[in-house]
Amino acid sequence: MNVSPAPAGLSSDRFREETAPVAELRAVTKRFGDVTAAKNLNLTIDRGEFLSFLGPSGCGKTTALRMLAGFEQPTEGDVLIDGGIVNDSPPFCRPVNMVFQSYALFPHLTVEQNISYGLKQRRPRMDRSEISRRVARALDTVRLAGFENRKTFEMSGGQQQRVALARAIVNEPKLLLLDEPLAALDRKLRKEMQIELQDLQRQLGITFVLVTHDQEEALSLSDRICVMRAGEVVQMGTPRDLYDDPKTKYVADFVGTSNFFEGTVLSVKEDMAQVELADGSRFEGRASDSFRETETVCLSIRPEQIRLTGKAEDGAIEVVVQNRIFLGEHTEYLVRHSSLGNIIVLAPRQAELAGTAFNQGDRAWLNLSREAMLVLRQD
Amino acid sequence: MTKRERNWLLLLPGGAWFLIMLVLPLTVVFIFSFGERGDAGGYVPAFTLEQYANLPARLTAFENTMILAPIGTLISMLIAYPLAYQLAVNTSRKWKTVLLVLVIVPFWTSILIRSYAWIYILGGQGIPNLLEMLGIEGVRLIYTPFAVLIGIIYGYLPLMVFPIYVSLDRLDKRLLEASSDLGAKPFATFMQVTLPLSVPGIATGCMLVFILLMGEFLIPALLGGGKVFFVGNALVDLFLQSRNWAYGSAVAVTLIVIMLVTVTVYMRLISRLNTQRDDVSIM
Repeated sequence: MNVSPAPAGLSSDRFREETAPVAELRAVTKRFGDVTAAKNLNLTIDRGEFLSFLGPSGCGKTTALRMLAGFEQPTEGDVLIDGGIVNDSPPFCRPVNMVFQSYALFPHLTVEQNISYGLKQRRPRMDRSEISRRVARALDTVRLAGFENRKTFEMSGGQQQRVALARAIVNEPKLLLLDEPLAALDRKLRKEMQIELQDLQRQLGITFVLVTHDQEEALSLSDRICVMRAGEVVQMGTPRDLYDDPKTKYVADFVGTSNFFEGTVLSVKEDMAQVELADGSRFEGRASDSFRETETVCLSIRPEQIRLTGKAEDGAIEVVVQNRIFLGEHTEYLVRHSSLGNIIVLAPRQAELAGTAFNQGDRAWLNLSREAMLVLRQD
Repeated sequence: MTKRERNWLLLLPGGAWFLIMLVLPLTVVFIFSFGERGDAGGYVPAFTLEQYANLPARLTAFENTMILAPIGTLISMLIAYPLAYQLAVNTSRKWKTVLLVLVIVPFWTSILIRSYAWIYILGGQGIPNLLEMLGIEGVRLIYTPFAVLIGIIYGYLPLMVFPIYVSLDRLDKRLLEASSDLGAKPFATFMQVTLPLSVPGIATGCMLVFILLMGEFLIPALLGGGKVFFVGNALVDLFLQSRNWAYGSAVAVTLIVIMLVTVTVYMRLISRLNTQRDDVSIM
């Protein structure tokens, strides 16, 4: 970590708090018996950012979150919050709050009592008037004013979700941890809550760490995404980085949709690689990494980067349209190539309006531009 | 058959049972309590309040019951709670089953035999004998209220453990994590989350044990040795020994009324304690 000397006027502690990343995992490994849930995690969480852990269930994302919360202790490595190692500090000592997947609201307490729970644990005791002022503000923030005396089990899923959020943010944590908070909501409500979450994060300036298996959710909410697989970080970056420059097939597949063709590297020139596919056809694509010749790789192209045309152009490949799904602003085609198999193509509405629409059974040509083709490691 | 008819049909066996086994005997006892004792015992129809006027003669039995039953219930609860807590919270799945079976093992033998074991343990050959070897002499345990208390706590503990265990076992562990996450230390979490959420189990256990203790007669008879009498013993005595059915009925009716009042007040209290909750229903 690069730490420049403290500027005059700032005590070193204060300085550390303001410049250090809000949290950090350093070579963190967590084992449960024989199972390694997290393997050598190294990452920093910046102040005020919205970071997502993305991956399928069992990839270690929840373990990472629980180590930040203090529910699990790392087997190896260090967990830092505000520049200090907190490995052995229990959850009730950490300036961190969590929104649980099932909300974990206290069934014997009212909405107000649930939200004030954290403030009431503080020692020295917080003024009663101060507590009710902050609870009222938190209720306002999540748009639940007037629900103070409700019982949580009488509320809808979306409302319970907001109580859980209010119960966490009222404590003004350094880090707000969200464990698949939207998983239990229906699609429409989930969309609404995503927007609310994002607004809330901007408004409060609290660092949010989200765990999700929903790539769309991660893409739309996060400043940065940490893609995980089998306990390891596969790639970390902004949503755009991950979408445009996935480093492996796994990331390209998990973040967005893509077409993949397996092949071997023939030659590498600067950042372009020539790949020969199983059927002998050759394509050029952007190399996402340095590759050796004869290495087995994967060519990837996003469905929206393929252009579908009605006549043979130079370098285009011939396909037969299998299926056509109207998606509103896009039309999704499933086409079949004699040796490459099925390929998904996303055609913009304009193309269709301009008269290039295809029906099942039509012959068509695909333009796979070399700029859009990515050569990925076959992980 | 309409749905309504079917519902009545389904209620028939239970309803008939209820009528024949509960309402009928209770009515008989109620009517008997206003009658008189025949010359050779039994019941002679009459309408007199004499039997009720005579109740103070059995005051000691009522006193013993009303003191020892609540104390027994309370102590059972205090012993059962930590036990149930350990079983539900700190025991691995494998051991849970084993330990739960151990809790009910005593039920495999009759309470009569188990009480005889206590007669031996508390009697002259048992603990007092051991104490004598240590130089403490003249300790008398058997045939005292203490012996009866030990007996009833021993006998009814499992009934207290189970409901408390169930309420603690069902407790969502994420609530404890949430509490810790919100800054509550372990003891604060226990007081603010675990304990309030296990109140239903405590309430059920106490109710179960208390009601059964109010009618207990075997343990006082064996461990109280005719010195510590419960209302149940008075009833046995009145119906079987002195064959004073009218007086016995008056004592029985009085006990039922006392139980009804106590249990109603208790339910009210508990439900007030739980007004803010959905998951609570006592019995």
